[in-house]
Parts: sequence; C-alpha cells; structure tokens
Amino acid sequence: MQGFPGVGSDLQTLQASMHAIEHACSLIQMHMNPAEVERVIGSLRSSSMPYQTCRFILEASQMASARFQAAGAIGDAAIREWALLTEENKRSLILFCLNYVMERSSAPEAYVQSKVSSVAARLLKRAWLEFSDSEKVVIFNEVKQSIVGVHGCGPQYAGIHFVELLVSEFSPSTSSAMGLPREFHEQCQSSLERNYLKEFYCWAQAAMLGLADKIMSSSGNVSEERACAGAIRLMFQILNWNFTISDKSNTKSNVLPSGIRHDTVVLKKFDRTLIKPGSAWRDTLISCGHTNWLLNFYGALREKYSYDTLWNDSPLAYSTRQLIVQLCSLAGAVFPSDNGETQIKHLLQILSAILPWVEPPDVIAASIRSGGSESELVDGCHALLSMASLTTTALFDNLLKSLRPYCTVHLLAALTCEVVKALMNNQREEETWAEESLDILLETWNVILEGIYTDRSSISKDGVYAASNLFNVIVESHLKAAADSAFEDADNSEYFHASISKRDERLASYALVARVAAESTVPFLARLFQERFSALSQGLGKSDPTRTLEELYWLLLITGHVLTDSGEGETLLIPEALQMAFPDVVEAAQHPVAMLSWSVIDFSRQCLDPAMRSAYFSPRLMEAVVWFLARWVATYLVPLDTGMGNIKPTISEGVVTNGSQPSRKVLQSFGWENNQGNIILDSAIRISLVALTVYPGENELQALTCQKLLSVLVRRKHICTRVVQLESWREIARAFANENILFSISARSQRSLAETLICAASCLKDSETSLQYLKDVIGPMTACLIENTSRTDLKSVAQQADAIYMVSCLLERLRGAVRATQPRTQKTIFEMGYAVMNPLLSLLEIYKNQSGVVYLVLKFVVDFVDAQVVFLGAKETSILVNFCMQLLQVYSSHNIGKISISLSSSLLSESQSEKYKDLRALLQLLRNMCSKDLVDFSTDAEQEDRPDIAQVVYVGLHIVTPLISLDLLKYPKLSRDYFALVSHMLEVYPEKVAQLNTDAFTHITSTLDLGLRHQDIDVVENCLAAINSLASYHFKERSLGKEGLSLRIVETQGSNGLLQASVTDHFLRLLLQLLLFEDFRTELAGSAADAFLPLILCEQELYQRLIQELLEGQSNPALKSRLASAFNSLTNSNHLSISLDRPNRQKFRKNLHHFLTEISGFVKIK
Amino acid sequence: MSDEEHHFESKADAGASKTYPQQAGTIRKNGYIVIKGRPCKLKRFPGQSVFNKVVEVSTSKTGKHGHAKCHFVGIDIFNNKKLEDIVPSSHNCDVPHVNRTDFQLIDISEDGFVSLLTENGGTKDDLRLPTDENLLTQLKDGFDAGKDLVVTVMSAMGEEQICALKDIGPK
Repeated sequence: MQGFPGVGSDLQTLQASMHAIEHACSLIQMHMNPAEVERVIGSLRSSSMPYQTCRFILEASQMASARFQAAGAIGDAAIREWALLTEENKRSLILFCLNYVMERSSAPEAYVQSKVSSVAARLLKRAWLEFSDSEKVVIFNEVKQSIVGVHGCGPQYAGIHFVELLVSEFSPSTSSAMGLPREFHEQCQSSLERNYLKEFYCWAQAAMLGLADKIMSSSGNVSEERACAGAIRLMFQILNWNFTISDKSNTKSNVLPSGIRHDTVVLKKFDRTLIKPGSAWRDTLISCGHTNWLLNFYGALREKYSYDTLWNDSPLAYSTRQLIVQLCSLAGAVFPSDNGETQIKHLLQILSAILPWVEPPDVIAASIRSGGSESELVDGCHALLSMASLTTTALFDNLLKSLRPYCTVHLLAALTCEVVKALMNNQREEETWAEESLDILLETWNVILEGIYTDRSSISKDGVYAASNLFNVIVESHLKAAADSAFEDADNSEYFHASISKRDERLASYALVARVAAESTVPFLARLFQERFSALSQGLGKSDPTRTLEELYWLLLITGHVLTDSGEGETLLIPEALQMAFPDVVEAAQHPVAMLSWSVIDFSRQCLDPAMRSAYFSPRLMEAVVWFLARWVATYLVPLDTGMGNIKPTISEGVVTNGSQPSRKVLQSFGWENNQGNIILDSAIRISLVALTVYPGENELQALTCQKLLSVLVRRKHICTRVVQLESWREIARAFANENILFSISARSQRSLAETLICAASCLKDSETSLQYLKDVIGPMTACLIENTSRTDLKSVAQQADAIYMVSCLLERLRGAVRATQPRTQKTIFEMGYAVMNPLLSLLEIYKNQSGVVYLVLKFVVDFVDAQVVFLGAKETSILVNFCMQLLQVYSSHNIGKISISLSSSLLSESQSEKYKDLRALLQLLRNMCSKDLVDFSTDAEQEDRPDIAQVVYVGLHIVTPLISLDLLKYPKLSRDYFALVSHMLEVYPEKVAQLNTDAFTHITSTLDLGLRHQDIDVVENCLAAINSLASYHFKERSLGKEGLSLRIVETQGSNGLLQASVTDHFLRLLLQLLLFEDFRTELAGSAADAFLPLILCEQELYQRLIQELLEGQSNPALKSRLASAFNSLTNSNHLSISLDRPNRQKFRKNLHHFLTEISGFVKIK
Repeated sequence: MSDEEHHFESKADAGASKTYPQQAGTIRKNGYIVIKGRPCKLKRFPGQSVFNKVVEVSTSKTGKHGHAKCHFVGIDIFNNKKLEDIVPSSHNCDVPHVNRTDFQLIDISEDGFVSLLTENGGTKDDLRLPTDENLLTQLKDGFDAGKDLVVTVMSAMGEEQICALKDIGPK
C-alpha cells in the first residue's frame, strides 16, 4: 500500500516481534506474569513507528488476541505521533484498517474486527479537520458501496458497524479524548452533524429496505438478519445523537393549542431524550412514510415468527422495537408547522402499532407469567411514557379514543393494575419485568398528572374513574402483601436505606394517582383506617394483632404520602390537588381530608395511654406515627395571619378553581380550629417524649423523633412560638437538662435534641425569658462537665466505660447546642463554650488514648469556631484563638511520632482511619478560622489588638502538618482538605509565607511536590494554584525591588543530582518535567499555564538554559527543530508581554494549549 | 433539680471491676464490648434499621413488630479473633474497662521480657515482648539506636499487651 508509514523491516525481525507479542498474549490468557506482559505490549504501543510490525501481525498472526493488540497499538501510536505522519501516511492507515475489516468481514473473532474498525473511526476523527472534503468522499464512497450491499452481506455489516463506531466516536459522551481540547471535538461534532449524519441514516435505511425484502421472502438467512439488525441499530444510534444545530422552531408558547408540548425534560429518567433533528430531516423521517414502513415491517415479522416465543428477544426484533420507541420522541421542526397535526398523526400511528404489545393487559400478564417474553410489554411502556411527555394530559388521554371505545388513561390504569398485581403476588420471585415496567408506568403517571397542574388540562371522567380503581387495587394488593409479610424478620439492613428511598418514591407516585381521584380515594383510605383501628380494639387481648399492625403501618405511610408532599428542605404546601378537590365542602367537619387527618391523629394519640401502648404500639408502628405527624404538622399547620392567598401558587386565579375557594379556606384553616392546633402540638411533644423514654434501645425511632418530628416543631416561627409556650415543651426541656433518662438515647440523637431545644430559644418573645430558658437547658450540661473534670479522683474513674459514655454524651449535647447558634443566642452560647475551654483541654489530656472522645472534642471545637467566629470581637477572638492553639499543641504532643501497633491489620487500619478523621477535623478547624478574615459581623472598632488570623492559621498548619504523614495523604478527603487549605492560604496571604521558618516552609513545598503528582485532579489543581500564588508573589515583590522569596532554598532534582536552589527554580524544573515527560492531563493545562507563566518570568535565565539542555539532548534533527519552534512560539507568539495581568495570562494559556498539542506525545517516545 | 444525677456513678474504688453494664443500643461502632467473655473492639454495628428487629425468643409473636436487636461483630483486642453476638437493644451488655498506660522503656531482656519504668519510679518487668515481627523489630531497632521510647500498654480484663510506641527523645 502506498504511503504506509514506518520503515519496512526484514521478514525475520517482523516474525520475531510477532512471536513476542503472541507469547505475551498467551500469557494473558493463562493469567501469568502480568508485569512482563505489560512491558512487552507496552513497548509495542509506545515504540516509534510500529505500523509495519502491527500490520504484519494483523495480516499474518493466527492468534486473535495478538491481532487485537496490534490494532490497538496502531491507534495509540498514530494518535501520539500524529504530528510526524504525512497526510499520505494518515490516509493509508485509515484505508488499511477499513479494507482489513471489509475483506475479513466473516472472520470468526468479531472483537478483532470491531477493534480495527474503531481504530479506523478514531483516526478518521483525528484527521477530520485536516482532510479536505474530497479526501473524505473517497473514503466514504467505499463505505457506502458496502453498506448498500454491493459486496454482499459480510462487508455490508462491516460497513454499517464502522459507521456506528464512527458516530459514537463523534458523540461527546463516547468520544476518546486524544489529548485535544474540547473545541476540536465540538467542531468535529457539528461538522458531522451538518454534512454526514443524515446521509448515514439514508444509507442505513437503504440497507434495511434491501435486506427486509430478502428476509421476508426467504426463510431467515442469519447473516442477512444480522446486517439488517445492524442497520436498524445504526439508525437508532443516529437518532440518539444530541442534535445541536437545527431547531429553529420559534414557538412562543411551550404548548401548542392542539396539545403538543415542547418543554419536555422528564424523559431523562430512563435514558431517553427528545430528538429534535430539525426541518432538514423531515423528508427522511416523516414525509416518506418511514415510520409507517417500519411499523408494518415489525408487524409482518411478528406475524411471521408468531410460532417462535424466542423471536421477541432476537437482535432484529429488539433493535426494531428500540427504533420504534425512539421515533416516539421525535419533536420540533422535523414536523411541519401545522399545529402539531402531523406529529399527532405520527404518534397515533405508533400507538396503534404498539397496542398489541400491551393489550389486553391481563392476557399479556398471564402469558408472561407462563413463560412468555416481556420485552414487548416493557418497550410498550417506554413508548407510552415518551408519548405522555410530548403531549398535554388531555391530548394523551384522547389519543386512544379514535382506536378504542375508552381513553388512554384507562389503558394505562388497566396496565398498571396488572403490573402491580403481578409484582405484589410474586414478591419472592425474580419478577424484574414487573419492577421495571411499574417504574416506567408510574413515571408516566407522574408526567400526565403533573401536566394537570401545569397546563390546566384535565382528565376525562373515565380517566378519573380508572385512576380511582387503580388506587384501590394498589392499596388492596399492598395491604395483603403487608399482612402476609408481618411475621418475616427481614434481616437485610444493608439494603435498607436504598430500599427506603425507593419505597418512598413509589408511594409518592401512588399518592399522585390517589389525589387525582381524591373524591373517592380519601374517604376510601379513611374507611380502611377506621376498619383496621376498630379491628384492633375489638380483638383486644384476644388475638395476635401483628397482621393488623403491619396493615396499619402501611396505611399510615400511604396516607402520609397522599396528604402531604415530601418537600425535602422546602416549605411544605398543602397539595394543590387536594385544594382543588371537594369544591362543595364548606364545613371543616365534613371535609374528607380533615376527617382522614383527625382519624389518624386520634389513633396516634392512643399511644399516650400506657395500656394501649403496650398492647399495640410496637416500635415500628411508632416510627410510622412519628413520621406521619412530622409531615402533617409541617403541611397543615399553615400560618394563619399571612393570609389565605399569599402563599398559594397563582393557579387558583383560573375560572375553574374559583368555585372551590371556600373549601380551600377550610383546608387551610381546619388545623387551627377550636384550639386544635395547640392540642396537636402538645400531643406531638408528648408522643415524642414517649418515643424517647418508653422505647429503650430503639435507635431508629428515636432518631426519627429527634431529627424529624421535634425539628419540625421549631423550624417555622409561627409553630415554634406556640410550642415554646406549652407546658409539655418545658417538660421535655427539663427532662433533657436534669434527668438521666434522656442519656439513654443514642448520642447522635442527643445532639440533635440539644440543637432543637436551643433553636427554640429564639422564638421566646421576651429576651429575659429566652435567656433564662437557655441557661436552664445549657447550665446543667456545662456544670456537669466542669464539675466532673475537676474531680480529684478523675484519673482513676475517667477510663471507666460509664464515665466515657457520659462524657461522650455531654460533648455531643454541647456540639448540638453550638450548632443552633443564632445571632440572638450567640453571646450565651459563647459563654458556655468559654466555660468549658479548660475542661476540654484536660479531657483531651485524660482521654488521649480514647480516640472516640478525642474526636468528639475536636468536632465540638470545629463547630464552635464555625458558629461563633464571625460574631466575635477582638477580645473574644483572641480567647478563642489561644484556646485553639492550645488544643492543637496538646493534640500534637500526644500524637506526634506515635506508631500504633496491633496484631490485627483491620484494627490497625482502623486506628489509621481514626487518625485521619482527627486530622480532617483539625484542618476544618483551621479553615473555619480563616473565614474570620472574610466574613466578620462583629461591631468592634478597636482593630489593633485583634489577633492576626493568618499568622495563627500558619502556626496551626505548622503544628498540624507534621502529623500528616505521606501515608495519610492517600486518604482522598484528607488530601483534598489539606491542599485546599494550603492553596487558599498561599493565595490570600503569600506575604506571610515569606515569614515562615525554614522547616515549615520546606514542609509546605514538599507537600506541594507530592500533590502535583496526585491522582485527584482537584488536588493537582490546588497545588498549581498554590505555586501560581507563590511565584506571582515573588515576581511582584522583585519587580518592586524587594527580595521576595529569593532567600528560600530548597533541594531540587537537577540534571546531575540534587542541588540547592530557590523555590521558583525548583518548581520550574518540576513543572517542565511534568508537562513534557509525564502523563499530563490536558484538562489541567489552564491551571498549569497559570503556574508556569510567573515561574518563567521569575527565572528567565534558568528557563532558557533548561530549554537549551533539552534541545541538545534530542538526537533526531527533525524533532529537534520542531521542539525548538514549539518552545519559541510558546513564549513569543500572541504578543506575550512580561506581566501577570489577566489578558497576558489568557494569551499564555492559549500558547500552552497549542504547545501541548504540538509536542505532547513525541517527546515521550522512547 | 440537682446536678448530682449527672455525676459519674462509679467510685474510684470501682476501678477493680473489670466490666460495666451498658445498654446495647447506646454502644457505638469502634467502642468496646465483651462477647463470650472476651474483650472486643466493635467492627460493625448494624441493627439500627427497622428490618433488623427480632423479638425475644420467649414470646409468641415474631416479625416486624418486635423489638430491635443489635447484631455486634467485634474483634478480640488481644488475639484478633472475630466474635459475634445478638442482643436485644434495650438489654445491657458488658463493656470492658480498657486501660492504656504509658511507660518508658528501660530494657529488653534476653528471655523475651521488657522492663518498663512506672510512674512512681518502680519497674514493671512482667510484660512479654510482642510476638508480632514488625512491632518487635521497631521496638528493638529503636531501642538499639538509643532512642527514648515510650510504650503504651493496653490492659483489659486481666490481660495486658503493648499496643503503641512513641519516640519522645531528640532525633
């Protein structure tokens, strides 16, 4: 072949290389000597011009894996040596690969063929912007010939597969980086999209048409089916393209009057996106009847193979269905602007074709249960979801009307019913199809039901009725499953939290369905609840209530979901659907939502009665009660005085909703009527107290009580002001402060309880009362801690388990208290912290071997500084700073030079990770102190005696850094924290670095050396930023005639051994080494440029010398001149000047980018 | 209300006791616990979830509405064996009194014992050298190099072992 790169060797050398590679590959297969294998194969990949050898192996080797490696080596070497290859070379490499796969299209090892194709695709992309159009045409002509079937089935498939790989190489998410900037990839992407994509699609279409005839007439030739499936897969993949140019559909509204939507984003959940190829594709996709043809094709195939149950999962059937589902998501200007008519017709066509896949639902479900294929059902669900996302609810509902006597929602409900039944009846078995399709169907429900509120379109009566039916089926099958599972001890706590959120998500979707038909479902739930409740009281003492308890548990969960939204972190509103429902109800007592609420709350209150509690209120049921109350209180006790209309969404202005206004008011206010609100709050507090005291050891319940229910009570002001007035609240505060009983809940819950109680202080109106309250809560904790640490026999009792436990609890409580710091309570809390400063230091001393306690002390101080530092005046700041320094010193004196030893490697690694957590806390402490210089709310005027925070933090770093061993820096979070802090300090206070002592300075620079070679990209970035700040500082100082960092001497790796050099010298060498000879990641080029520029400016002479050395070391004259010109343009092009201003840095960034693409690769060749 | 109630309940003389009772639910991961008569450090502390609840064996009801149980997995702090236990979380567990004391290393004798300087000036000679190779070399090398070494001795339930080493002398 003409122009094939590389020097031809004699046959013997080639054969020797081939044998070496084959030998290495056989070692891989036997899992032997991986280091040797890596060396041999690596040497082929990184050698200079290995193409002839690779070609020889590809053509001559009998061993597939050797051919595979050779193909990979061609790709790697060519990308690396790209700059050295001539145009002729490049083209012949690509053509070689293409011819190779075409000629050997029927070779057995498909993965080798696939690899060679992907190498061809990769190289073609690399050459994309260099080749002229005519050159590309030459290449593509050949491909096209094979795709349309001129050379037979084998090459046809090879051609299709090549284009498939090419498209994936051009898609941003699947492309290989090739060491090139993003702009390159973007240019390639848009060029392919503009000039070739549609053409590819047409080729595939032509191939499909040709092959389909053969398949339909003959009886199944394997290679024809394979090629046809490949063509369809290619079309599917092209439609997956993220179309960027094109869509110029300037529709003002997101929804057309006909009901077609343009604003869809929800498809993402199941890896589907809207496809908007633009008007240019109209002829290919729409007007030529492509969709119709495809649907008929699938229908005919389905008929033909109806005897074969496995056919549904064959590649051809699978890829055809994929393409059909994908066509559902077509949108935008590809359709003519005829008010969506064409699109609706298009959707209808598809809908009528997929109906046999899902209808009738019960028959389909039964056939799957008896072993049939579920693929059609699942794909049908996907299609329904896509349609629902593209249409308004009303349009979606009506789509089916022209084909069936009922509406689409009816079909959806029937389908969901069957899937729910299948899922609940066979929970033991692996019913993944039911899980999968239920997820899709529920997502479809979400889409159409959300549509009701956003577009104000509505569902037909028939649809509402279907939804209500569906909800009944859901509730009944779940209740049955709940009752049946009541006696199981599922011990899978590992999966638990994942499955909780999955369960909640599903329940929330059920709730949406229920709310659509609220008129029937809310009373239905109330009735079920009453039934179970009375079943419980009738069976009192007679029968085992466990089944009923589990049913009630599930009912509480679903009721909670129907009545309230989860709204993590937002202010909860009463669900709009419930506000719109029941327009005729004017009295609270008759409002079904109120009635349901009261019956659940009345039930909850029963747990306050000891007899009822011990008989029925199991810990699990209590969890549901507490969870329900938390959500209900947050949703239904809305602030009264803010007015009814203000907080509601604006939808209520519409004509439709006006009529329901009285019932809205009822819903907003029924919680507060007749003083009910206060009574409910009181019950909630008493129930919490019961949960915390009567259920010893139920950590989950107690965590839920403290973190959910009690924190809801203090979160919003209008509730909190009432809460703090209640006697029960004072009771819980008293119990917390003075009684032992609450020490028995888990320490973490004690922390959040303390936080909640302190939070409430700011809702006491009178500042005196508030202060007293705070003192009552905090006083006993601090007093106890102080008193106990000043005991004379402390040393002997301190190590006892109960003493350790007590101290841990107190520390957690204190930590909770400081986390609740608010401007109003800040002073009191600071006093509290001040009082325990000395005791904390002695605790640190006493418990130096109890890592748990040490960690709690550190975490307390971290939170204390975080909460307080911004408020403090000069005097308090210096108290705090001194305390922190003492703390650091004590900690360091205990831990420096300490080696833990243990027989057990797992205990050893644990003690290592304890150390790591401590150090992380210390770094957090320093970081929190830094924030004083950035944010300061203190009103202090006297600035003189204010401690110098930067100085303090450097001293702190000096104490902490020796504790951080290089091993510890391997913990990603620790190293990230450390380098973030260092780079922050160097950036903000470079002048302080100059004043550090030699040890401290050396330590910091040596960690930077380490960080530059770190795996984590953030760390490297931080280090580069740190070097940038150091060098820039030095440069600025010097240009002002000062000395800067010139006196700082560090050891550095020179060309002949270690030498003493200045910092900038050291980093310049290091960075040059990194950029040129090591695997430098291109995404870091920007930050590297920022660090590199000031270094060059500082050390111009050295820089020139280093380059000179480098050039002299290069023996190949061609490379030498390239390198020289690259270096020359790095510093001279783009009018680079000697300054560090922003434009200049930008120019340098560009230069460096260019430089890297120019030289990277070939200097690394060995 | 008096603050008395918050005091450590144990008295100084209670130091003789080897274990203390503590509610199973409040024992944390990385804490200590006695399992089958051996002091252990907790590796894992599951049993915090709703699904992990099992009822007392004695009653007739079983299933989800029973009480929580804690499933402890601990590692014997002296011989490194893994031990497991299941305890209702409201019940008490024994928690060992684990003490760590620092001693300066005076001598390493030929017969495999170390000689340590106690706080009140006496010596403690009844502790064997650790069996672990790695630790042994670190200890011996450091001692031979003339470094001032402090060893931490961990003791619990009548057993003792060197568990940490620290160089306090000048380099």
